[in-house]
Amino acid sequence: MDSDEEDYVFFGTPIEREEEITSRRKKAAAEASGNLRSLPPWKQEVRDEEGRRRFHGAFTGGFSAGYFNTVGTKEGWAPQSFTSSRKNRAEVKQQSIFNFLDEDEKAELEGTLGTSSQFDTFGFTAAEFARKQADKEQKQRPSAIPGPVPDELVLPASESIGVKLLLKMGWRHGRAIKDSRASSLYDARREARKAFLAFASEDVKAPYPANEPDEEPESFMAQPVDNDTQSSKSLPAFVCNPKQDLHGLGYDPFKHAPEFREKKRLHLSNDKQHGYRKAISIKDSLFGSKSGKAAPGFGIGALEEYDAEDEDIYGAGYDFEETCVEEDEEPSKLSIESKQPSRLDIESKQKVVAKDQGVLPGFKVASVSDYQLERFDPPIIPKDFIPHHKFPGPLETLKKLDVPSPPEVPPPDDSNLKLLIEGVAKLVTRCGKLFEDLSRKKNQSNPLFSFLSGGDGHDYYEKRLWEEHQKLGDQAKLSLDGKHSPSAQKMTAEGRGKLLGEKPLGRSSKETTSSSIASREFQLQFNLSDTFKKPDSFNKLPEVAKPFKNDPAKQERFEQFLKEKYEGGLRSTGYSSASNMSEAARAREKLDFEAAAEVLEKGKWGKESMVSTQPLDFLAAGMQFTSGGLEQVKDTHAEELVTKEKYPRREEFQWRPLPVLCKRFDLIDPFMGKPPPAPRARSKIDSLLFIPDSVKDAKPEEDAITNRDVPAAQTGAQKTIEAAEEEIEIVAENVERPVDLYKAIFSDDSDEDVEDTNTKKVEDPEKKIEVATTTLNRLIAGDFLESLGKELGFEVPPDTPYSTNKANSSAQIETPNSDAGIAKVGTVEGHGTFCAPNVGTGTSLNPEQETTQGSESPKNESIPGKPVRYSSKHTDGLSESISGKVNAEKFPPGDKKVRSPSSRRRNWSSSSSSEDERSRKHSRRHRYRSSDSYSDSSSDDRERYHPRSKGKRKRSSREKSSSSRKHSKHHKHRSRDSPSRSHHGSEREHSESRKEKRKRRN
Amino acid sequence: MSTSELPRKEANVLKGHEGAVLAARFNSDGNYCLSCGKDRTIRLWNPHRGIHIKTYKSHGREVRDVHVTLDNSKLCSCGGDRQIFYWDVSTGRVIRKFRGHDGEVNAVKFNEYASVVVSAGYDRSLRAWDCRSHSTEPIQIIDSFSDTVMSVCLTKTEIIGGSVDGTVRTFDIRIGQEISDDLGQPVNCISLSNDNNCILANCLDSTLRLLDRSTGELLQEYKGHACKSYKMDCCLTNSDAHVTCGSEDGSIFFWDLVDASVVSKFRAHSSVVTSVSYHPKDNCMITSSVDGTVRVWKT
Repeated sequence: MDSDEEDYVFFGTPIEREEEITSRRKKAAAEASGNLRSLPPWKQEVRDEEGRRRFHGAFTGGFSAGYFNTVGTKEGWAPQSFTSSRKNRAEVKQQSIFNFLDEDEKAELEGTLGTSSQFDTFGFTAAEFARKQADKEQKQRPSAIPGPVPDELVLPASESIGVKLLLKMGWRHGRAIKDSRASSLYDARREARKAFLAFASEDVKAPYPANEPDEEPESFMAQPVDNDTQSSKSLPAFVCNPKQDLHGLGYDPFKHAPEFREKKRLHLSNDKQHGYRKAISIKDSLFGSKSGKAAPGFGIGALEEYDAEDEDIYGAGYDFEETCVEEDEEPSKLSIESKQPSRLDIESKQKVVAKDQGVLPGFKVASVSDYQLERFDPPIIPKDFIPHHKFPGPLETLKKLDVPSPPEVPPPDDSNLKLLIEGVAKLVTRCGKLFEDLSRKKNQSNPLFSFLSGGDGHDYYEKRLWEEHQKLGDQAKLSLDGKHSPSAQKMTAEGRGKLLGEKPLGRSSKETTSSSIASREFQLQFNLSDTFKKPDSFNKLPEVAKPFKNDPAKQERFEQFLKEKYEGGLRSTGYSSASNMSEAARAREKLDFEAAAEVLEKGKWGKESMVSTQPLDFLAAGMQFTSGGLEQVKDTHAEELVTKEKYPRREEFQWRPLPVLCKRFDLIDPFMGKPPPAPRARSKIDSLLFIPDSVKDAKPEEDAITNRDVPAAQTGAQKTIEAAEEEIEIVAENVERPVDLYKAIFSDDSDEDVEDTNTKKVEDPEKKIEVATTTLNRLIAGDFLESLGKELGFEVPPDTPYSTNKANSSAQIETPNSDAGIAKVGTVEGHGTFCAPNVGTGTSLNPEQETTQGSESPKNESIPGKPVRYSSKHTDGLSESISGKVNAEKFPPGDKKVRSPSSRRRNWSSSSSSEDERSRKHSRRHRYRSSDSYSDSSSDDRERYHPRSKGKRKRSSREKSSSSRKHSKHHKHRSRDSPSRSHHGSEREHSESRKEKRKRRN
Repeated sequence: MSTSELPRKEANVLKGHEGAVLAARFNSDGNYCLSCGKDRTIRLWNPHRGIHIKTYKSHGREVRDVHVTLDNSKLCSCGGDRQIFYWDVSTGRVIRKFRGHDGEVNAVKFNEYASVVVSAGYDRSLRAWDCRSHSTEPIQIIDSFSDTVMSVCLTKTEIIGGSVDGTVRTFDIRIGQEISDDLGQPVNCISLSNDNNCILANCLDSTLRLLDRSTGELLQEYKGHACKSYKMDCCLTNSDAHVTCGSEDGSIFFWDLVDASVVSKFRAHSSVVTSVSYHPKDNCMITSSVDGTVRVWKT
C-alpha cells in the first residue's frame, strides 16, 4: 500500500475542513468574549456554538435549520409521505412536540423537564427529606455529640402519621398549633417595647446606639418575622439533656448553690420556654444573648430575645462555652441590671427585680434591714512590735526530753555491734524516725541489724536513741538560745552557762519511778560530760576530712584553728602546743590550715571525693595550697585583711593569638612561624594534674634529644618548676617504701581484691629484701603490673579503642590482655612523672647496669622453671612471686623465645595519647586516695624504653634476618625483667617475628 | 570637672521597652544611644531629643548587650539566644549571626576597625568572630577563664575580659601574653578609663575596684552602692574624674576617682540600674533600669 501511494502525485493544497471549523470556532470564541460584544446590537451576529451563523435575517435567508440550513438530512426536509393501502393501513400517528423540534431544542427541553425528588413523597426520597429535616432540627437543638452526626448512623424515621396529618391540615414545621397572631400577649408586648424604647433612647446604653430611632421601624418590621420564628420554638422538642459542660461526670457545680442551678437552667432554656417568662429570663435575654454573639451595633426590643437573625454573623467565630465561670458572672450581670432602675413597669407584676446579688429568685430584699454589716478597723500594731516570731524551742526535742529514759542497759559485748548501734542511733536522731523505718526495712534480712526490730541489743539501741535525743535537744536549744537571746539581755547564771555551753543539771522529770531515778543519774553524768562537748561545727567535721592524720599534733592544731575560724570568741592567741615553732613555720602552717579548711568547706558543699581529698594529700606532702578565685565571702575582719593583701594577684601567661585575629586587629603575629606552644597549666594544682599532658606533648621533641636524660629534659621544659621540686621531695620520701605503691593501688580499688590477698600471702619474703634491690624492683613494677593485669584479665575502663591504634599485627588476638596490661602500666606511669628527676636512682637502663645484670640474664633464661626464686631475690618479692608463679603456670617453660621489652613497649608508646592520659588520670586518683604520696620508678623505665623502642622499631624492621643476635641482645635487656613478662612477651614476639619474616620473604 | 557638673538632672525618659532594659550605650560620638532589653529588641534613640528612632527585632531571647561601630554603620548584639547578631544599622537587617557559644552571651564588642566582634559568654569563653569573612566559626576562642565571662573590653591591641571567677584577664595580641589579675571577687563588669591605663571592675561584693593595668595594682575601691546579684555596668566619666555606677535600689552613685568618696548619689530609677553610659564629650549620661526606662541625665 505504501509503495502504491508513493506513485500518486498530488497537486494543490487539499481543503481542510476541519481546520476551517476550528478556526471558525476560535473566531466565535473570540467574538463572544471580546471585541464583538462592544458592537451595537444591530451589528452583532448570532452564531451557534460551532461559530456558524444560523440566523440570517428575514431578507438574507431566514432562520437556517437542518442540514446546512436545511432540515435533518443531507437531502433536506421532505414531508412525511402518507401511504395507506388495504394491506397496510396507515396508522393514526400521534404527533408530539418533538416532531417539530430541532435536536438542540430537544436537548433543551429535556433539560428542563423532569421529575423532582421533591415531589416524590414515597420511598427513598421521603426518607431523605426526613433526614434533612432532622438535620436542620439538629442544628437548632443542642446535641450530645458535637458536630454533625454521621448520617449513616442515624436515620430518623420519616414523619409520624400525626405530623403528616397536621401537615395536611396546613400546619408547617415549627409553627404553633394555636393561632400565633391572635395572642393578646403580642399586643401587650408591642406596647411594652414601644414604651421601653422611648425610655431607652433617653439614656444611651451600650447595646443601644444613639441612632436608635432610625432603627426602630426596622425592628418593628422585623417583628412579625420575629414572632414567627419565636413561635417556631413553640413545640418543645423532647431532648435528653446532653452533657454540655466540661465538668467531670456526676459533678454538680451547683451542689451547694441550688439557686444558681435554677438560674442556669433558666438561662439556658429561656429561649425554649415560650410564654413562661420570668423576670430573670427577660433580663438575661436583654443583656446576655443566648449565644453571646449579638451584633454589637444593633439593639433589639426590650421584650425580644436574640434570635438567629440577630446574631453577629460577621463576628469572630468564638463560641464561648457556658461553664460555671460564666455562672459567676451572672450575679454581676444582675447587679448591672439592678443598678439601672427598672422602667418596665408594664410587666412589673411578673417581674421581680433582684436588688442584690445574694437574693434568690422569687425573693425580695427588704428595703429596710436592721442588719448592717459593721466594719472594724484592723487592730493597731504597737510601734515596738517586731514582726518576728520567737519559737520557744524545737517542739520535738522538747517533747522528747519529757520522755522518761529507758532503763540503763549494759552495751552488748560485741564491740562492733555496739558501734553499729550507736551509729544508727545517732543517725536516727539526726534524720528522724523515718530513717529508722527505712533502715529497718532495708536490713530486714541482715542479722546485724536485728536490734532495730527488737532483736539482740534492742534495749541498748533504745537507750542510745534516747541519749542522742537528749543531746540533740540540748544542742538545738543551746544554739537557739545563743542565736536569739539579744546581747543586751540581762545575763543570769543560767544564761551564762548556756552561753558557755554548760548544761543545766537535773532537768529530768519529777517522777519517782526507779527508771527515772536511774535516768536522772545517767543524765547527770551525761550532762557533765556533755557540758564540755565539742562545738557543733567541729562535731560535724567528717572523719574523712582529717587532713593531717599523719601528724596528730598538727591535726590538733588544725582543729584548733578550725574552731577559731568558724566560731570566733575569746581564745588564747597562738597555739599553745606549737609554741616551739618558729614564726615562719607557724605562718606557713597557718596558710596550710587555711587552705585545708577551705577544701573541707568545699567538700561539705558536695564535691566530696576528688576535690577534697586531692589537695589534702598535697597538704600532707607539705605543699602550700591556695585556691584560685573561689574564695568564700567571710565577714570576719581577719579574713578581709587576708583577701586584701592577697588580691589583686597578677599572673602572666603566654597566650597565643591566632594569625587571623592578629590580621584583623592589624597587628603582627607575635608567634609568626613558631611552633604551637605547649598548653599552659592554669594553677599549681593543674600543673600537677596535667604534667603528664605536657610530657605527652613534649614527646616529639624528646625523641630528638638523647635517650638517657629525657626525663630530666622534660621536667626542665616545664614551667612549673616548683611543682617539680615538690615532686622530688615526694619521690625522695617514698623511695624506701615501695610497698605502699601496691597497697595504695590495690587496697583502694574494689576491683582488685584478688591481688590484695595475694600481696598478703607474700608478705613474708618481702621482709627479706635488701634495700639495694628496691630500685630494681621499682623498675620491674611497671612490667609486673602489666603482666599481672594480663594474667588476671582486668578490665581497666577506657582502653578499648586503643587496640585499634596498635601498629602491631597481632593486635587482635592480644587485645583484651594487652589492654589490661597497658592500663596498668598507665597507672604506674602516672606516678612516674612525679619522680622524673629521680631517674638516677632508678636507671637500670644505664649501660653499666645493663652489663652488670647481663651476667644474670642467661640464668634467668635458662631456668625458666624456677622463676619464683629469682623474682623473690630480685624484687620486693610480692610482685615477682605472683607474676612468676602465674607465669610459670601459664606459660610453658619450654617457650624460650624472648620478647624484648622494647617491642612490648612499642605498642603503647605508639598508642593514642589520650588513652594514655586517661589511664594516667586513673592512676592519679589512686595515688591521691592513699594517705601517703609515693612514687614509683616504673615510669622511668617507661620513659627510657620509649625512645629506645623507637630506635628499636627501625632496627627490627631492618635486621630481622639476624634474629638470633637480636635475641641475645634482648636477652640482656630483659634480664632485669621478671621472667614472666619475658615469657609472655616471647610468644608474641615469636609470632611477630615470624610474620615479619614471612613478609620479607614475600 | 567639679561636682556640680555631674549630670544629675533628668533630661529625657526614653520609654518603649517592655520589660527590663539590660543595657544602654552611647554611640561613639554620643549623639545617639542604643538600648536593649528583655523584650528581645534593640532600640535606637536620640537621647538628646528623646526620640525613638528604630527598633531592631530578631533576637529570640533577651538582648544583653549591644555595641555599635565607630562609623555607626553596624551593630552587634548578643543575648540569651546564644547568638551574636551582626546588624546593619540603617536597614535594620541582620547581616550575620554568629553561633557557637554554648551558653548565653553576656557581652559583645567591636574592635577598632569593626572587623572583629568579641563576645563573652556563659560558657566561660571569649570568642572572636570575623565580620569580614563569611565564616561563622570563631577565629579565636579564649577559654582560660574558669567561670562565666561577664564583660569584655577591647583596646587596639588587647582583649580584656572580666569573669565571675574573679579574674580580669588581659590578652595582649601584640606580644602574645595573657595577664590575669585576680580580684578575688566575681567581676560583673569591667570598663576602661578613657586613657586606657586603668580598669574599673564592678565586683559582686558591692565594690568597684580600680586597677592599674600596667602593674596590676589595686588603685582604689569604691563602695556604697549595692551590687550583689545583677549584672550592672559601671563607667568612668569622660574626664576620668569620677566613677559612676548604678545600684540595685535604683540610685546612681558618683565617686571621686582619687579619694573614693561618694560625691553624689541620687535616686534615678524605681528598680535596679542595669547600665550606665557616659557621653564621650558632654556632661551627659544615660542609665537603664529594670523598670523599663532609659533615662538621660544632664547637668
